[in-house]
Amino acid sequence: MLQLPQIYAENIRRWLPELLHFALTTLLIAALSFVVAVFIGLVLALMRTSRSPVSGGVAAGYIEVCRGLPIVVLLYIVYFAPPQLLPDIGWKWFTTLAGAVLGLGIHGGAILAEVFRSGIEALHKGQREAALSLGMTPAKATAYIILPQAARIVLPPVGNYAIGLLKDTSLCSLIGANELMNDAKSIAFADYQPMAVFVLVAGIYFAMSYPLSLCVRYMEARMRHGRS
Amino acid sequence: MYFLNVLEAKGWYFLTTLLGGWPETAGVAAASLVFALIVGLFIALLRLSRWRLLRFPAVAYVEFFRGTPALVQLFVIYFGLPDTGFQPSPLQAAIVGLGLNGAAYLSEIYRAGIESIHRGQLEASLSLGMTPASAMRYIILPQAIRTMLPPITNFAIVLLKDTAIIFAVGVVEIMALARNLVTETLQSAVVYLIAGAIYLCMTIPMARFAARLERAKRAWQ
Repeated sequence: MLQLPQIYAENIRRWLPELLHFALTTLLIAALSFVVAVFIGLVLALMRTSRSPVSGGVAAGYIEVCRGLPIVVLLYIVYFAPPQLLPDIGWKWFTTLAGAVLGLGIHGGAILAEVFRSGIEALHKGQREAALSLGMTPAKATAYIILPQAARIVLPPVGNYAIGLLKDTSLCSLIGANELMNDAKSIAFADYQPMAVFVLVAGIYFAMSYPLSLCVRYMEARMRHGRS
Repeated sequence: MYFLNVLEAKGWYFLTTLLGGWPETAGVAAASLVFALIVGLFIALLRLSRWRLLRFPAVAYVEFFRGTPALVQLFVIYFGLPDTGFQPSPLQAAIVGLGLNGAAYLSEIYRAGIESIHRGQLEASLSLGMTPASAMRYIILPQAIRTMLPPITNFAIVLLKDTAIIFAVGVVEIMALARNLVTETLQSAVVYLIAGAIYLCMTIPMARFAARLERAKRAWQ
Protein backbone atom coordinates (compact mmCIF):
# COMPACT_ATOMS: atom_id res chain seq x y z
CA MET A 1 0.00 0.00 0.00
CA LEU A 2 1.21 3.46 -0.88
CA GLN A 3 2.05 5.59 2.16
CA LEU A 4 1.96 9.09 0.71
CA PRO A 5 2.35 11.03 4.00
CA GLN A 6 5.42 9.03 4.87
CA ILE A 7 6.95 9.49 1.41
CA TYR A 8 6.35 13.24 1.62
CA ALA A 9 7.81 13.41 5.13
CA GLU A 10 11.00 11.79 3.89
CA ASN A 11 11.43 13.63 0.59
CA ILE A 12 9.64 16.94 0.67
CA ARG A 13 12.71 18.88 1.75
CA ARG A 14 14.57 17.66 -1.30
CA TRP A 15 11.71 17.90 -3.78
CA LEU A 16 9.91 21.08 -2.94
CA PRO A 17 12.72 23.67 -3.32
CA GLU A 18 13.68 22.21 -6.68
CA LEU A 19 10.10 22.03 -7.93
CA LEU A 20 9.37 25.57 -6.77
CA HIS A 21 12.46 26.77 -8.58
CA PHE A 22 11.13 25.30 -11.81
CA ALA A 23 7.66 26.63 -11.03
CA LEU A 24 9.30 30.04 -11.44
CA THR A 25 10.44 29.01 -14.93
CA THR A 26 6.86 27.97 -15.66
CA LEU A 27 5.62 31.37 -14.50
CA LEU A 28 8.28 33.05 -16.63
CA ILE A 29 7.20 31.10 -19.74
CA ALA A 30 3.57 31.94 -19.01
CA ALA A 31 4.33 35.65 -18.48
CA LEU A 32 6.46 36.01 -21.62
CA SER A 33 4.04 34.13 -23.85
CA PHE A 34 1.19 36.18 -22.39
CA VAL A 35 2.95 39.34 -23.57
CA VAL A 36 3.53 37.83 -27.03
CA ALA A 37 -0.10 36.69 -27.19
CA VAL A 38 -1.49 40.09 -26.17
CA PHE A 39 0.62 41.76 -28.83
CA ILE A 40 -0.37 39.33 -31.61
CA GLY A 41 -3.98 39.29 -30.46
CA LEU A 42 -4.23 43.07 -30.50
CA VAL A 43 -2.79 43.33 -34.00
CA LEU A 44 -5.09 40.57 -35.29
CA ALA A 45 -8.17 42.06 -33.62
CA LEU A 46 -7.49 45.45 -35.19
CA MET A 47 -6.94 43.75 -38.55
CA ARG A 48 -10.21 41.84 -38.22
CA THR A 49 -12.25 44.87 -37.28
CA SER A 50 -10.66 46.98 -40.01
CA ARG A 51 -12.56 47.52 -43.24
CA SER A 52 -9.86 46.11 -45.52
CA PRO A 53 -10.89 42.63 -46.76
CA VAL A 54 -7.25 41.56 -47.21
CA SER A 55 -6.08 42.17 -43.66
CA GLY A 56 -9.40 40.87 -42.34
CA GLY A 57 -9.00 37.68 -44.34
CA VAL A 58 -5.39 37.17 -43.27
CA ALA A 59 -6.36 37.59 -39.63
CA ALA A 60 -9.35 35.25 -39.98
CA GLY A 61 -7.15 32.59 -41.59
CA TYR A 62 -4.52 32.88 -38.88
CA ILE A 63 -7.14 32.58 -36.17
CA GLU A 64 -8.86 29.59 -37.74
CA VAL A 65 -5.60 27.68 -38.27
CA CYS A 66 -4.10 28.42 -34.86
CA ARG A 67 -7.31 27.61 -33.02
CA GLY A 68 -7.78 24.41 -35.01
CA LEU A 69 -4.33 23.03 -34.20
CA PRO A 70 -3.64 21.22 -30.94
CA ILE A 71 -1.18 23.31 -28.91
CA VAL A 72 1.32 20.46 -28.85
CA VAL A 73 1.34 20.23 -32.63
CA LEU A 74 1.78 23.99 -32.87
CA LEU A 75 4.67 23.84 -30.39
CA TYR A 76 6.34 21.08 -32.41
CA ILE A 77 5.90 23.02 -35.65
CA VAL A 78 7.15 26.30 -34.20
CA TYR A 79 10.11 24.72 -32.45
CA PHE A 80 11.27 22.13 -35.01
CA ALA A 81 10.22 23.45 -38.42
CA PRO A 82 11.88 26.90 -38.81
CA PRO A 83 15.49 25.74 -38.30
CA GLN A 84 14.95 23.13 -41.00
CA LEU A 85 13.16 25.37 -43.48
CA LEU A 86 15.62 28.27 -43.13
CA PRO A 87 18.87 26.60 -42.10
CA ASP A 88 21.05 29.56 -43.15
CA ILE A 89 20.10 31.84 -40.28
CA GLY A 90 21.88 31.11 -37.02
CA TRP A 91 19.38 29.31 -34.75
CA LYS A 92 21.64 29.20 -31.67
CA TRP A 93 19.37 31.56 -29.76
CA PHE A 94 16.30 29.45 -30.52
CA THR A 95 16.28 27.45 -27.29
CA THR A 96 13.43 25.27 -26.09
CA LEU A 97 12.41 28.18 -23.89
CA ALA A 98 12.21 30.55 -26.86
CA GLY A 99 10.29 27.93 -28.84
CA ALA A 100 7.87 27.44 -25.96
CA VAL A 101 7.23 31.17 -25.54
CA LEU A 102 6.80 31.69 -29.28
CA GLY A 103 4.55 28.64 -29.75
CA LEU A 104 2.27 29.46 -26.82
CA GLY A 105 2.26 33.13 -27.84
CA ILE A 106 1.24 32.34 -31.42
CA HIS A 107 -1.56 30.11 -30.17
CA GLY A 108 -2.69 32.61 -27.55
CA GLY A 109 -2.67 35.41 -30.11
CA ALA A 110 -5.46 33.64 -32.01
CA ILE A 111 -7.54 33.17 -28.86
CA LEU A 112 -7.04 36.71 -27.59
CA ALA A 113 -7.78 38.15 -31.05
CA GLU A 114 -11.33 36.78 -30.79
CA VAL A 115 -11.64 38.02 -27.20
CA PHE A 116 -10.44 41.51 -28.14
CA ARG A 117 -12.67 41.60 -31.19
CA SER A 118 -15.75 40.79 -29.16
CA GLY A 119 -14.70 43.50 -26.70
CA ILE A 120 -14.31 46.08 -29.45
CA GLU A 121 -17.58 45.08 -31.09
CA ALA A 122 -19.42 45.24 -27.76
CA LEU A 123 -18.87 48.99 -27.68
CA HIS A 124 -21.56 51.18 -29.10
CA LYS A 125 -20.80 52.49 -32.60
CA GLY A 126 -21.59 55.99 -31.40
CA GLN A 127 -18.40 56.00 -29.35
CA ARG A 128 -16.24 55.91 -32.44
CA GLU A 129 -18.50 58.28 -34.38
CA ALA A 130 -18.44 60.79 -31.54
CA ALA A 131 -14.65 60.62 -31.33
CA LEU A 132 -14.33 61.13 -35.09
CA SER A 133 -16.81 64.01 -35.08
CA LEU A 134 -14.74 65.69 -32.39
CA GLY A 135 -11.89 65.71 -34.91
CA MET A 136 -9.87 62.76 -33.68
CA THR A 137 -8.10 60.69 -36.30
CA PRO A 138 -9.29 57.05 -36.59
CA ALA A 139 -6.04 55.87 -34.97
CA LYS A 140 -6.48 58.26 -32.04
CA ALA A 141 -10.11 57.24 -31.63
CA THR A 142 -9.03 53.60 -31.42
CA ALA A 143 -6.20 54.28 -29.01
CA TYR A 144 -7.91 56.73 -26.63
CA ILE A 145 -11.63 55.95 -26.88
CA ILE A 146 -12.19 52.38 -28.09
CA LEU A 147 -9.37 50.33 -26.57
CA PRO A 148 -9.54 51.73 -23.00
CA GLN A 149 -13.25 50.93 -22.81
CA ALA A 150 -12.88 47.55 -24.50
CA ALA A 151 -10.09 46.65 -22.05
CA ARG A 152 -12.52 46.64 -19.12
CA ILE A 153 -14.96 44.39 -20.95
CA VAL A 154 -12.34 41.83 -21.96
CA LEU A 155 -10.64 41.61 -18.55
CA PRO A 156 -12.50 38.46 -17.33
CA PRO A 157 -12.06 36.44 -20.56
CA VAL A 158 -8.41 37.47 -20.71
CA GLY A 159 -8.05 36.21 -17.14
CA ASN A 160 -9.60 32.91 -18.17
CA TYR A 161 -7.13 32.71 -21.03
CA ALA A 162 -4.27 33.34 -18.58
CA ILE A 163 -5.43 30.42 -16.42
CA GLY A 164 -5.50 28.15 -19.46
CA LEU A 165 -2.09 29.42 -20.52
CA LEU A 166 -0.59 28.64 -17.12
CA LYS A 167 -1.76 25.05 -17.42
CA ASP A 168 -0.70 24.79 -21.05
CA THR A 169 2.89 25.62 -20.14
CA SER A 170 3.09 22.00 -18.95
CA LEU A 171 2.97 20.99 -22.62
CA CYS A 172 6.32 22.70 -23.17
CA SER A 173 7.91 19.77 -21.37
CA LEU A 174 7.04 17.71 -24.44
CA ILE A 175 9.45 19.74 -26.60
CA GLY A 176 12.00 19.50 -23.81
CA ALA A 177 11.66 22.93 -22.21
CA ASN A 178 13.03 22.73 -18.70
CA GLU A 179 10.02 23.79 -16.64
CA LEU A 180 7.98 22.39 -13.78
CA MET A 181 6.55 19.38 -15.58
CA ASN A 182 9.87 18.36 -17.08
CA ASP A 183 11.59 18.59 -13.73
CA ALA A 184 8.77 16.62 -12.12
CA LYS A 185 9.31 13.85 -14.64
CA SER A 186 13.01 13.64 -13.93
CA ILE A 187 12.51 13.61 -10.15
CA ALA A 188 9.65 11.10 -10.38
CA PHE A 189 11.59 8.58 -12.41
CA ALA A 190 14.91 9.12 -10.67
CA ASP A 191 13.36 8.52 -7.24
CA TYR A 192 10.81 5.90 -8.37
CA GLN A 193 7.99 7.92 -6.79
CA PRO A 194 5.76 8.93 -9.70
CA MET A 195 2.51 9.05 -7.71
CA ALA A 196 3.90 11.20 -4.90
CA VAL A 197 5.75 13.58 -7.22
CA PHE A 198 2.97 14.07 -9.77
CA VAL A 199 0.35 14.61 -7.08
CA LEU A 200 2.64 17.19 -5.48
CA VAL A 201 3.12 18.89 -8.86
CA ALA A 202 -0.63 18.89 -9.43
CA GLY A 203 -0.87 20.69 -6.09
CA ILE A 204 1.70 23.28 -7.21
CA TYR A 205 -0.15 23.95 -10.46
CA PHE A 206 -3.38 24.24 -8.50
CA ALA A 207 -1.80 26.67 -6.05
CA MET A 208 -0.77 28.85 -9.00
CA SER A 209 -4.00 28.71 -11.00
CA TYR A 210 -6.63 28.81 -8.24
CA PRO A 211 -5.90 32.35 -6.99
CA LEU A 212 -6.05 33.48 -10.60
CA SER A 213 -9.44 31.86 -11.10
CA LEU A 214 -10.74 33.46 -7.89
CA CYS A 215 -9.65 36.85 -9.28
CA VAL A 216 -11.46 36.15 -12.55
CA ARG A 217 -14.62 35.15 -10.69
CA TYR A 218 -14.45 38.36 -8.65
CA MET A 219 -14.11 40.41 -11.84
CA GLU A 220 -16.99 38.55 -13.47
CA ALA A 221 -19.21 39.17 -10.45
CA ARG A 222 -18.39 42.88 -10.52
CA MET A 223 -19.12 43.00 -14.24
CA ARG A 224 -22.50 41.38 -13.73
CA HIS A 225 -23.45 44.01 -11.20
CA GLY A 226 -22.61 46.73 -13.65
CA ARG A 227 -19.51 48.04 -11.89
CA SER A 228 -16.03 47.68 -13.25
CA MET B 1 12.95 24.49 -52.71
CA TYR B 2 13.96 22.09 -49.99
CA PHE B 3 10.52 21.87 -48.40
CA LEU B 4 8.74 21.09 -51.67
CA ASN B 5 11.32 18.51 -52.68
CA VAL B 6 10.86 16.60 -49.45
CA LEU B 7 7.10 16.94 -49.71
CA GLU B 8 7.13 15.54 -53.23
CA ALA B 9 9.48 12.67 -52.49
CA LYS B 10 8.14 11.61 -49.10
CA GLY B 11 4.83 13.42 -48.64
CA TRP B 12 2.59 10.48 -49.53
CA TYR B 13 4.54 8.10 -47.31
CA PHE B 14 4.34 10.55 -44.41
CA LEU B 15 0.64 11.15 -44.89
CA THR B 16 -0.32 7.47 -45.08
CA THR B 17 1.86 6.62 -42.09
CA LEU B 18 0.37 9.42 -39.97
CA LEU B 19 -3.17 8.48 -40.95
CA GLY B 20 -2.43 5.07 -39.47
CA GLY B 21 -2.77 6.77 -36.08
CA TRP B 22 -6.15 8.25 -36.89
CA PRO B 23 -8.21 5.38 -35.37
CA GLU B 24 -6.44 5.84 -32.02
CA THR B 25 -6.89 9.62 -32.06
CA ALA B 26 -10.56 9.45 -33.04
CA GLY B 27 -11.24 6.43 -30.84
CA VAL B 28 -9.77 7.99 -27.69
CA ALA B 29 -11.57 11.26 -28.41
CA ALA B 30 -14.91 9.47 -28.87
CA ALA B 31 -14.48 7.17 -25.87
CA SER B 32 -13.43 9.95 -23.52
CA LEU B 33 -16.29 12.11 -24.80
CA VAL B 34 -18.79 9.41 -23.82
CA PHE B 35 -17.02 8.94 -20.49
CA ALA B 36 -17.06 12.69 -19.84
CA LEU B 37 -20.72 13.03 -20.88
CA ILE B 38 -21.76 10.44 -18.30
CA VAL B 39 -19.49 11.48 -15.42
CA GLY B 40 -20.10 15.17 -16.15
CA LEU B 41 -23.88 14.79 -15.89
CA PHE B 42 -23.50 12.97 -12.60
CA ILE B 43 -21.28 15.76 -11.22
CA ALA B 44 -23.59 18.49 -12.48
CA LEU B 45 -26.55 16.84 -10.72
CA LEU B 46 -24.53 16.54 -7.50
CA ARG B 47 -23.61 20.18 -7.80
CA LEU B 48 -27.22 21.27 -8.17
CA SER B 49 -28.26 19.18 -5.19
CA ARG B 50 -29.88 20.78 -2.17
CA TRP B 51 -27.51 19.13 0.28
CA ARG B 52 -24.13 20.70 0.90
CA LEU B 53 -22.66 17.28 1.64
CA LEU B 54 -23.31 16.27 -1.98
CA ARG B 55 -22.44 19.66 -3.47
CA PHE B 56 -19.05 19.92 -1.85
CA PRO B 57 -17.34 16.89 -3.47
CA ALA B 58 -18.66 17.98 -6.88
CA VAL B 59 -17.28 21.51 -6.43
CA ALA B 60 -13.93 20.14 -5.24
CA TYR B 61 -13.79 17.78 -8.22
CA VAL B 62 -14.46 20.56 -10.72
CA GLU B 63 -11.99 22.97 -9.08
CA PHE B 64 -9.25 20.37 -8.93
CA PHE B 65 -9.60 19.07 -12.48
CA ARG B 66 -9.93 22.56 -13.93
CA GLY B 67 -7.06 23.89 -11.86
CA THR B 68 -4.41 21.37 -12.94
CA PRO B 69 -3.04 20.56 -16.40
CA ALA B 70 -4.47 17.53 -18.21
CA LEU B 71 -0.93 16.30 -18.76
CA VAL B 72 -0.32 16.08 -15.00
CA GLN B 73 -3.61 14.21 -14.55
CA LEU B 74 -2.62 11.74 -17.26
CA PHE B 75 0.75 11.20 -15.58
CA VAL B 76 -0.84 10.62 -12.19
CA ILE B 77 -3.07 7.97 -13.74
CA TYR B 78 -0.55 6.29 -16.01
CA PHE B 79 2.66 6.53 -13.99
CA GLY B 80 1.19 7.07 -10.53
CA LEU B 81 -1.49 4.39 -10.28
CA PRO B 82 1.00 1.51 -10.65
CA ASP B 83 2.36 2.62 -7.24
CA THR B 84 -0.99 1.57 -5.79
CA GLY B 85 -0.88 -1.78 -7.55
CA PHE B 86 -2.96 -1.12 -10.68
CA GLN B 87 -1.27 -0.75 -14.06
CA PRO B 88 -3.57 0.85 -16.64
CA SER B 89 -2.84 0.33 -20.32
CA PRO B 90 -1.96 3.48 -22.30
CA LEU B 91 -5.40 3.52 -23.91
CA GLN B 92 -7.19 3.11 -20.57
CA ALA B 93 -5.10 5.87 -19.01
CA ALA B 94 -5.76 8.22 -21.93
CA ILE B 95 -9.52 7.62 -22.01
CA VAL B 96 -9.98 7.83 -18.25
CA GLY B 97 -7.60 10.81 -17.91
CA LEU B 98 -9.15 12.90 -20.67
CA GLY B 99 -12.61 11.70 -19.63
CA LEU B 100 -12.23 12.73 -15.98
CA ASN B 101 -10.73 16.03 -17.06
CA GLY B 102 -13.49 16.64 -19.57
CA ALA B 103 -16.19 15.73 -17.05
CA ALA B 104 -15.21 18.77 -14.99
CA TYR B 105 -15.71 21.08 -17.98
CA LEU B 106 -18.86 19.31 -19.16
CA SER B 107 -20.46 19.48 -15.73
CA GLU B 108 -20.24 23.27 -15.96
CA ILE B 109 -21.87 23.18 -19.40
CA TYR B 110 -24.65 20.94 -18.06
CA ARG B 111 -25.12 23.17 -15.06
CA ALA B 112 -25.40 26.31 -17.18
CA GLY B 113 -27.85 24.49 -19.46
CA ILE B 114 -30.02 23.25 -16.60
CA GLU B 115 -29.99 26.62 -14.86
CA SER B 116 -31.02 28.32 -18.11
CA ILE B 117 -34.40 26.54 -17.89
CA HIS B 118 -36.91 28.68 -16.08
CA ARG B 119 -37.68 27.55 -12.52
CA GLY B 120 -41.37 27.53 -13.36
CA GLN B 121 -40.80 24.44 -15.50
CA LEU B 122 -39.57 22.47 -12.51
CA GLU B 123 -42.29 23.84 -10.24
CA ALA B 124 -44.98 23.04 -12.80
CA SER B 125 -43.84 19.45 -13.21
CA LEU B 126 -43.61 18.98 -9.43
CA SER B 127 -47.09 20.39 -8.98
CA LEU B 128 -48.33 17.87 -11.57
CA GLY B 129 -47.06 15.18 -9.23
CA MET B 130 -43.81 14.24 -10.94
CA THR B 131 -40.90 13.24 -8.74
CA PRO B 132 -37.86 15.57 -8.90
CA ALA B 133 -35.96 12.84 -10.77
CA SER B 134 -38.55 12.37 -13.48
CA ALA B 135 -39.02 16.14 -13.76
CA MET B 136 -35.30 16.36 -14.46
CA ARG B 137 -35.41 13.44 -16.88
CA TYR B 138 -38.55 14.33 -18.85
CA ILE B 139 -38.95 18.10 -18.50
CA ILE B 140 -35.67 19.87 -17.70
CA LEU B 141 -32.95 17.91 -19.54
CA PRO B 142 -34.76 17.58 -22.90
CA GLN B 143 -35.14 21.37 -23.00
CA ALA B 144 -31.66 22.07 -21.67
CA ILE B 145 -30.05 19.87 -24.31
CA ARG B 146 -30.85 22.40 -27.02
CA THR B 147 -28.94 25.14 -25.18
CA MET B 148 -26.09 22.77 -24.40
CA LEU B 149 -25.51 21.36 -27.86
CA PRO B 150 -23.26 24.15 -29.24
CA PRO B 151 -20.95 24.27 -26.18
CA ILE B 152 -20.80 20.46 -26.14
CA THR B 153 -19.70 20.48 -29.78
CA ASN B 154 -17.03 23.02 -28.92
CA PHE B 155 -15.98 20.82 -26.04
CA ALA B 156 -15.67 17.85 -28.42
CA ILE B 157 -13.26 19.92 -30.56
CA VAL B 158 -11.16 20.74 -27.51
CA LEU B 159 -11.15 17.07 -26.54
CA LEU B 160 -10.05 16.02 -30.01
CA LYS B 161 -7.18 18.49 -29.85
CA ASP B 162 -6.27 17.32 -26.35
CA THR B 163 -5.69 13.80 -27.68
CA ALA B 164 -2.46 15.17 -29.17
CA ILE B 165 -0.85 14.92 -25.70
CA ILE B 166 -1.65 11.26 -25.06
CA PHE B 167 1.49 10.07 -26.83
CA ALA B 168 3.14 11.10 -23.55
CA VAL B 169 1.50 8.09 -21.88
CA GLY B 170 2.35 5.78 -24.73
CA VAL B 171 -0.73 5.76 -26.98
CA VAL B 172 0.37 5.34 -30.60
CA GLU B 173 -1.76 8.01 -32.26
CA ILE B 174 -1.04 10.62 -34.94
CA MET B 175 1.43 12.64 -32.88
CA ALA B 176 3.32 9.56 -31.68
CA LEU B 177 3.69 8.35 -35.26
CA ALA B 178 4.85 11.84 -36.28
CA ARG B 179 7.58 11.73 -33.64
CA ASN B 180 8.61 8.26 -34.80
CA LEU B 181 8.78 9.45 -38.41
CA VAL B 182 10.97 12.36 -37.40
CA THR B 183 13.44 10.09 -35.61
CA GLU B 184 13.40 7.86 -38.68
CA THR B 185 13.78 10.49 -41.41
CA LEU B 186 14.79 13.72 -39.56
CA GLN B 187 12.26 15.65 -41.69
CA SER B 188 10.69 17.43 -38.72
CA ALA B 189 9.30 20.40 -40.67
CA VAL B 190 7.39 18.40 -43.29
CA VAL B 191 6.18 15.69 -40.90
CA TYR B 192 4.81 18.04 -38.23
CA LEU B 193 3.20 20.30 -40.83
CA ILE B 194 1.42 17.29 -42.37
CA ALA B 195 0.33 16.19 -38.90
CA GLY B 196 -1.00 19.70 -38.29
CA ALA B 197 -2.91 19.58 -41.58
CA ILE B 198 -4.55 16.30 -40.55
CA TYR B 199 -5.75 17.87 -37.29
CA LEU B 200 -7.06 20.91 -39.15
CA CYS B 201 -9.03 18.65 -41.51
CA MET B 202 -10.83 17.32 -38.44
CA THR B 203 -11.22 20.45 -36.30
CA ILE B 204 -12.17 23.11 -38.85
CA PRO B 205 -15.30 21.31 -40.14
CA MET B 206 -16.30 20.63 -36.53
CA ALA B 207 -15.83 24.30 -35.66
CA ARG B 208 -17.97 25.32 -38.64
CA PHE B 209 -20.65 22.89 -37.49
CA ALA B 210 -20.54 24.30 -33.95
CA ALA B 211 -20.89 27.83 -35.31
CA ARG B 212 -23.93 26.73 -37.31
CA LEU B 213 -25.55 25.16 -34.26
CA GLU B 214 -24.87 28.39 -32.37
CA ARG B 215 -26.59 30.45 -35.07
CA ALA B 216 -29.54 28.05 -35.16
CA LYS B 217 -29.85 28.34 -31.40
CA ARG B 218 -29.88 32.12 -31.57
CA ALA B 219 -32.57 31.92 -34.25
CA TRP B 220 -35.11 30.12 -32.08
CA GLN B 221 -34.29 31.89 -28.84
